[in-house]
Amino acid sequence: MLLGGPPRRSPRSGTSPKGPQSSTGHVHFGKSPQTWPRRTRPRSPGLAAPSGVRGSTQPKRRDFPRRAWLTALSRYGARLWMGRRPSLPEARGPAPRSAAASRASRSLASPETSPSPLPATTRGAVAGGGSVQGRAGAQKEVFPGQGAGKMAAPMELFCWSGGWGLPSVDLDSLAVLTYARFTGAPLKVHKISNPWRSPSGTLPALRTSHGEVISVPHKIITHLRKEKYNADYDLSARQGADTLAFMSLLEEKLLPVLVHTFWIDTKNYVEVTRKWYAEAMPFPLNFFLPGRMQRQYMERLQLLSGEHRPEDEEELEKELYREARECLTLLSQRLGTQKFFFGDAPASLDAFVFSYLALLLQAKLPNGKLQAHLRGLHNLCAYCTHILSLYFPWDGAEVPPPRHTPAGPETEEEPYGRRNQILSVLAGLAAMVGYALLSGIVSIQRATPARAPSTRALGMAEEDEEE
Amino acid sequence: MGHMVKQNSDKIAAEPWPENATLYQQLKGEQILLSDNAASLAVQAFLQMCNLPIKVVCRANAEYMSPSGKVPFIHVGNQVVSELGPIVQFVKAKGHSLSDGLDEVQKAEMKAYMELVNNMLLTAELYLQWCDEATVGEITHARYGSPYPWPLNHILAYQKQWEIKRKMKAIGWGKKTLDQVLEDVDQCCQALSQRLGTQPYFFNKQPTELDALVFGHLYTILTTQLTNDELSEKVKNYSNLLAFCRRIEQHYFEDRGKDRLS
Repeated sequence: MLLGGPPRRSPRSGTSPKGPQSSTGHVHFGKSPQTWPRRTRPRSPGLAAPSGVRGSTQPKRRDFPRRAWLTALSRYGARLWMGRRPSLPEARGPAPRSAAASRASRSLASPETSPSPLPATTRGAVAGGGSVQGRAGAQKEVFPGQGAGKMAAPMELFCWSGGWGLPSVDLDSLAVLTYARFTGAPLKVHKISNPWRSPSGTLPALRTSHGEVISVPHKIITHLRKEKYNADYDLSARQGADTLAFMSLLEEKLLPVLVHTFWIDTKNYVEVTRKWYAEAMPFPLNFFLPGRMQRQYMERLQLLSGEHRPEDEEELEKELYREARECLTLLSQRLGTQKFFFGDAPASLDAFVFSYLALLLQAKLPNGKLQAHLRGLHNLCAYCTHILSLYFPWDGAEVPPPRHTPAGPETEEEPYGRRNQILSVLAGLAAMVGYALLSGIVSIQRATPARAPSTRALGMAEEDEEE
Repeated sequence: MGHMVKQNSDKIAAEPWPENATLYQQLKGEQILLSDNAASLAVQAFLQMCNLPIKVVCRANAEYMSPSGKVPFIHVGNQVVSELGPIVQFVKAKGHSLSDGLDEVQKAEMKAYMELVNNMLLTAELYLQWCDEATVGEITHARYGSPYPWPLNHILAYQKQWEIKRKMKAIGWGKKTLDQVLEDVDQCCQALSQRLGTQPYFFNKQPTELDALVFGHLYTILTTQLTNDELSEKVKNYSNLLAFCRRIEQHYFEDRGKDRLS
């Protein structure tokens, strides 16, 4: 076991996330367990070693990728190791650890994360609740440079889980996540698909270090700013004003259309949105919650666009889309050839614009009029893919394979489908015939009626003779 | 969004601006509310800036006459157009435009700032009028229902209030307190002030529809008497905005010999 071997950033389990990652404390409860490279956090991968080793590990420069290597060793080894893991990155000290641990365990109870602390996976940092707690209790070391600082628990963000190639399918969650990535805020991200599991009942929700729960996206970002994770730090006053203005533009022009495209347009809703939500949510929520969300969005859209008479609906829709196209064009003009809206560093406006655009671009919508227009604006597309590749490189791999080849499974199913059809017809026929035969509705005459009477005749003749 | 009567733009362009174009709004003295007054003033300012004559007519049922339910609306020739956005487009189809000289980026910014005003200032005004109990009780209910006999005045006022409250909830302002709303107004004014800087108008030398809109709202806020002065105080903090309002008032309203806007 090498203590303090290779540099921290060695890739874990084959994935090598690049780019400015959000630092520490990103414990990812999502589908890809091995994600976050923590930049500075002391992670001593226990190394499946006896506790003695742990005591001596000054956690600092441990590279957690070690964990992947360890799990390859043996389940047993991993289990042992996990039982010994010293603190999770975001710990500030032993005491808050248990608080965070209990929170972690609670959040682990949420449906989509693997419910049991399977040692096999590199759920590593996030180990199962039990082992975390055990760990917290067993942990003794104080990490230098941390303990003296904030003793508060880390902030936790609950948001919708990912899909369609994005880290999150919900607009607000995506915006908040992106902002957090931009600023490197140490958030514990819980990607869940059950809104009832979040502390406020809606997603996204941020639980601050003081236990307070914020669920309005703007307020979440304001809170992050207050905690000194400010992406708008370098903006001039005029740029700050522009930010406000463009966010209003987005909200007024683009948001209604986005809501309409995903939730009101029937084809899109049935084939894409509802499908995703119904698949992602646990039973029995998947039966009624998507429908309820749709009704809420519909109501909101109606209120936003004002009262209109039923016959105007189509025209209203056309008008909405026209304005949205105009808005996109305006954004494109404003962006020009820059990398981000205000120069070379991303700001909060970029987070919001990205969330709108990414959803429009990535989701495979059957009715994609706005999508088509957006694809024509190349600088916006490049902007999106740039941010996606820079800040969410592995989330792109979250897309489950079937989605990549929508045609594939279908054609594969085809021959089987035909075969199954034929088989089922045959089975039905056989069942009917068999029943008919057995119950005597139909009886099969023996093929040689001529022989029968002769044998009988013979038999009778014999009887006669006997008599 | 405003409702524009379906017409080809050719037809619109064919007729010149008539002399008898009228703008309808509610009764100025007793009925009109802060937000409607602001909108009406914005349209008037815009038309003045375009040098198009318009006559203001006050009717008690202006809201119901309007094709989209929103005031003000203008009656030009045989067409009726309501709300600033569609009116700007309509006027543009007739060949008058204030924003032709802007480049693409500036146009984008102009639209964005107009949305900012609509999003924050207008919503704040609506909130103050309809969701702040003190103002509602003392001013809004009385004014809104004034042309109608009892009990219609109460019914209509409550109905409108309920509608506005629903809208506020839908956009997330339902839970805001008055202080938060005032803070939002402050932020908005700060943004406008920073954008304006030391220039005479938002896009330097020539006024645009953004200037008209901002003027309409700020002037109304500054000159309307409410139960408390907090809203106007927020605006008064920014001297360049005050100077801006004054400038437009002098240039486009006093000079033309129109009556002083009360």
